[in-house]
Amino acid sequence: MGIVMERWMPDRTTLFLIAVALILAGLAWLQGGLSAVVDGLSSGANELLRVTPMLLAAFLVAGLTQTLVSREIIEHWLGSRAGWRGILLACLGGALIPGGPYVYYPIAGALLGSGAGMGVLVAFISAKNLWSITRLPYEFALLGPRLTLIRYAVTFLLPPVFGFVAEAVFGSKIDSIREAMR
Amino acid sequence: MIESTVIMIVIALGMLALTRSRADDSAQRGISLGWQTLKSTLPVLILAFAIVGYVKVLAPQDMVQSWIGPDSGLRGVLIGTIAGMLLPGGPYVVFPLVAALYHSGAGLGPTLAMITSWSALALLTVSFELPFMGWRFSILRLSLGLFAPLIVGLIGWLFIAG
Repeated sequence: MGIVMERWMPDRTTLFLIAVALILAGLAWLQGGLSAVVDGLSSGANELLRVTPMLLAAFLVAGLTQTLVSREIIEHWLGSRAGWRGILLACLGGALIPGGPYVYYPIAGALLGSGAGMGVLVAFISAKNLWSITRLPYEFALLGPRLTLIRYAVTFLLPPVFGFVAEAVFGSKIDSIREAMR
Repeated sequence: MIESTVIMIVIALGMLALTRSRADDSAQRGISLGWQTLKSTLPVLILAFAIVGYVKVLAPQDMVQSWIGPDSGLRGVLIGTIAGMLLPGGPYVVFPLVAALYHSGAGLGPTLAMITSWSALALLTVSFELPFMGWRFSILRLSLGLFAPLIVGLIGWLFIAG
């Protein structure tokens, strides 16, 4: 099914990063000449080498997760459910769905078109953003266990709360939003 | 660090065993999906770590400390929130950068706010949301989502890091 994971517009990102790297290298040159430029690169290379074993395992975990959870399963789950159960299921679906925004927004758009409520849609997107299982290995590998655990713990209640609040406050607006997207 | 690596490798092996026990080709597909992701993100990953290296060498620790340091309070959380919205790219780019800032002296509150804000409010991601959900949905969702980094940042600052 050709899902390439969590990649945001590689071209613009790559160009932006090249520009940032060059600017920083220029600053290093101004501060300490060629040796500072080399120091920066070797410090980055050391850091990359340090996380490489964990990163390789993280890519493997993310790839395997994708084969266990398919888009069809998630859509089928969330298609026709509403109320608090719909919101909780949407949280679970959002946490499990692999892939970047070009994968889950088309799904959210399809759910909107097939009659999903405001709370379900907000819960799905918020859970993808805050609970994502496929992003967890990278977060763990690159940010470390402490920051990762604190962040997941602190944001744990937010996706369902956002779903319920969205349903209670903005729930009546979903039909006109749906109409406008037809 | 070594513990984390071991945990990650154990999880990977466990998932490999799980997918191999299935009757289909999940294991091969999973490995090749992971490999393709790695190949396509390698240039970005290398660039991100070059930037991380320069952030460390240039050590703008005074600046990091005063803007988003542990004592930067609500202002630090707000700066972290705005920075997170502007951060480009996927997790391979954002997480190493945030880690480098954290190790150069950023406080826990602003760091958590930055990660959460990038997760929930990144402007590049919103540009994907608009064509599928419409601007009215985006505005309603973002108005709720804006609370996420602020809540998380304030909890990190007031209750965890002190």
